[in-house]
Amino acid sequence: EKVGEEKPEVLSPEELEKLKEEVDERKKLISTLRGKPWPMRKKLESHEFVEKYEGALGKGKSRKLYAYKVMMLKKWMKFQRDFENFKTACVPWEMKIKEIESKYVSYLFLLYPCTVLLVLPGCLLFFNLAEKALMGRPYGSMPRKTVPRADEANAMDFAVLWDFGGYAQYSVLFYGYYNSQRAIGWLKFRMPLSYFLVGVGTVAYSYMVVIRTMARNANEDGGGDNNSFNFSWKMFTSWDYLIGNPETADNKFASITTSFKEAILEEQESRKDDNIHLTRFLRVLANFLVLCCLAGSGYLIYFVVRRSQKFALEGLESHSWWERNEVNMVMSLLGMFCPMLFDVISALENYHPRIALQWQLGRIFALFLGNLYTFIIALMDEINLKREEEEVLKLNMTIWEASLYNGTLGVNSTAPPITVHPADIPRGPCWETMVGQEFVRLIVSDTMTTYITLLIGDFLRAVLVRFLNYCWCWDLEAGFPSYSEFDVSGNVLGLIFNQGMIWMGAFYAPCLPALNVLRLHVSMYLQCWAVMCCNVPQERVFKASGSNNFYMAMLLVILFLSTLPAIYTIVTIPPSFDCGPFSGKSRMFDVIQETLESDFPAWFGKVFSYASNPGLVLPFLLLMVLAIYYLQSTSKSYKQANLELKKKLQTVSRTINKVLTLIQHLLYSLFMSSYLSSPLGGEHRAHQGKSNHQIPPSATSPPAPRGHRIPGPLPGNQWQPAPSVQRVPNSQRH
Amino acid sequence: GNLLSLTLAFLPLVLTFIIRYRYYFVLFYRAVLVRMWYDCTTGLSREERAFQYVLTHAIPGDPESILETFDLWCSKVEFISNIGPKKGKIMDRILSEHCPLTVLELGSHCGYSTVRIARALPLGARLYSVEMDAINAAIAEKIIRLAGFDDDTVELIVSPSDEVIPRLRADYGLERLDFVFMDHWKKCYRPDLQALEGSGLLGKGSVVLADNVLFPGAPNFLRHVRKSGLYEWKIHRATLEYSKGIRDGMAELVYQGIK
Repeated sequence: EKVGEEKPEVLSPEELEKLKEEVDERKKLISTLRGKPWPMRKKLESHEFVEKYEGALGKGKSRKLYAYKVMMLKKWMKFQRDFENFKTACVPWEMKIKEIESKYVSYLFLLYPCTVLLVLPGCLLFFNLAEKALMGRPYGSMPRKTVPRADEANAMDFAVLWDFGGYAQYSVLFYGYYNSQRAIGWLKFRMPLSYFLVGVGTVAYSYMVVIRTMARNANEDGGGDNNSFNFSWKMFTSWDYLIGNPETADNKFASITTSFKEAILEEQESRKDDNIHLTRFLRVLANFLVLCCLAGSGYLIYFVVRRSQKFALEGLESHSWWERNEVNMVMSLLGMFCPMLFDVISALENYHPRIALQWQLGRIFALFLGNLYTFIIALMDEINLKREEEEVLKLNMTIWEASLYNGTLGVNSTAPPITVHPADIPRGPCWETMVGQEFVRLIVSDTMTTYITLLIGDFLRAVLVRFLNYCWCWDLEAGFPSYSEFDVSGNVLGLIFNQGMIWMGAFYAPCLPALNVLRLHVSMYLQCWAVMCCNVPQERVFKASGSNNFYMAMLLVILFLSTLPAIYTIVTIPPSFDCGPFSGKSRMFDVIQETLESDFPAWFGKVFSYASNPGLVLPFLLLMVLAIYYLQSTSKSYKQANLELKKKLQTVSRTINKVLTLIQHLLYSLFMSSYLSSPLGGEHRAHQGKSNHQIPPSATSPPAPRGHRIPGPLPGNQWQPAPSVQRVPNSQRH
Repeated sequence: GNLLSLTLAFLPLVLTFIIRYRYYFVLFYRAVLVRMWYDCTTGLSREERAFQYVLTHAIPGDPESILETFDLWCSKVEFISNIGPKKGKIMDRILSEHCPLTVLELGSHCGYSTVRIARALPLGARLYSVEMDAINAAIAEKIIRLAGFDDDTVELIVSPSDEVIPRLRADYGLERLDFVFMDHWKKCYRPDLQALEGSGLLGKGSVVLADNVLFPGAPNFLRHVRKSGLYEWKIHRATLEYSKGIRDGMAELVYQGIK
């Protein structure tokens, strides 16, 4: 039946609005299902119910598609969750970390993307297997894979192997072993190309991972105004609920007290600024001393490197162990002792602890960098030496080949080739293997120094302190030497620099990342044990900066600075003529050119040559620089807007606070007046008399310093109800 | 050549060591080397030298002046381990909070802390000071009388502390000690505390103040205090007397009694 002229199917705008509101409400209800205080079974059932009928919210034909989309989304989220769990389970030391975190608190154990650690050696191991399994030639089949006849006698000696000579030198560990044949085996595996691409690819992947982690951390870190409500923040947010150990709790308690005292002192000092000249002078002096120390360490390394070059010319066998490993040992020792000196010098500067820590880390950074680059410059000298040797050897090779045939043949005759054992062929000095060897030796000596320091400086010291304490005149635990503190930032920095050295040497010693993974595993377990058994937490626990990005930024800089020398050598120095996957080429990256010419169609080569034209590349770079500038300025303005919003929020909440306080006052006075004026109150008013405004006596004593005493009643509690009537006997009143 | 590079590599470590522990080296110099030097040249013992100085530079009858003179001598001339001005202030504050009537002091050495405590005592209180060494006790006696405290206020007992404590109740008629100050040999802190507990002279609210529990340190004593559960304890952190960089502390124990 028609009901007038209206069309009931068309909804008026108000009804649409109402419908939309109702739908939104229902959606909100469903999304809050998780948070309801129901038993688990009920929640799961309701969830299943919702899932079954959710598709009904979609309209018409696309209902099925919508339900399907929702289901896929849920499955994807579940998969992600499971994958996260799997990844966490794969990290073998997760439980240990939690245990240690409860004792040591704060950020820690920079487990930067575990993926980097695993992927790097994974890739690099991959083509080792490729070389072997896919029909690379085994040991002994080629001159580059065989120990020379002269060295055969002592190729298995432990001393030689420890220095990575002998059999270790002619193995997959180093660059020189790899065959330069363009395609190996039945799979036609492109060995040189893959070596090059993996080397470059790992660097690119590392960059990506580091920057992605930085971006993620930057999202979590809010903009912050750290200067307002200092004391309130300290009061309400100082405690750390991750603490699970009584010693740490005591320490945290003491450190919170200390930080309050410091904040009060700082506040006092910021009001007066006397003697700024003395402070400035002391800071300049401290920096000067640090520079002296850095210069001294740089000079010492230079001196030692010169000496080792002299020894190398005389032949390394005639020197003692110390003389052979002098450079590495001196570098490791300096790297260990100079930071302590910096720490002591920084006591002159009188900075806030966080700023002092940043300066300290910066100085250690400069020290390591200086040492490393001195080392690299020395390495460059050696590379040049080796290349001169190579020239000489090439000449000698032609003479040697001619002598083989003994002048019996003419130039154009085809006699059967004389077979010579690979061990007898003279071969060129392989500068790449030498570089790889140096890096591996450096890492090994660094590892050894770390372990020995751990054993002596932490374990032995702890044993001495523990057992000598019974018969020593002063308290060894409380005074000198006491247990060693676990220095978080120093350790993290050591890890970062270790990784830098790996990045530098990975191209020339492909198994280096795998060795490093092994070393890191052992280090981790050793350090875990040492930390729980021999160390005490630091007294004042604070972070180097508000976010974790500080260390990530450092890692990025190290990545950049350590891949620089490797890339320089790849691009400028021609590879050796008879060892490694690029032997015979004039530059290492020629392999790319070759591949483009032979394996890809011709038009691809043309496109590539157009794309790499400087005329195209330069404008592109310019565009990227401009884009970065633009993004930076927008992000700055967003931060600014954020801060202003926060301030507005603060003022609003302050006003609300004031209003609430006012209302409280009002209510209280109303209550008092009503109580006093009621008939019940009237009788007691006579008794009130003196005790009307008496604050209970227990609150008059000044608060005793809160040590380990049971806390007394809070002083001055003005919201207590009116004091109860004193039972004054009536006789006194009349 | 070899030795040179090895030495230079270890140089930063040696420098760090010297700089970080410079206060301990200074303390060693003042407390041991200077003392030996003066012992050889003057022939008097350290306490006698201190007494001479106080006699010549302080105003008799004024405990304030005597304490100040002592402090001056200890910071400028030689080092004696009295309680010092900073920790002394903490002790004064505790005394004024508790106003004890019977005070026992173990180890008065030169009498500095005796004078300090006696100065802060209320009227009618009495201080018993135990000193093991006879010569030191004689000097302490002279200084206490110089400060103007008579036998009613301060009584000096010359005997080792472990012999005196069991006899306090019988010989001196003490019922309860309100305040005990320990500043004698650190390894005697724990046995003496246990003797005091055993003798029943400590009541609820009695305060025991032990000096130098962090440097040179009395680890056994602290362990006993923590384990026994008879005390509410607290460590006042300060610096060692007359030196700036060495951390030290005084343990303040309030006896709670057996629960």
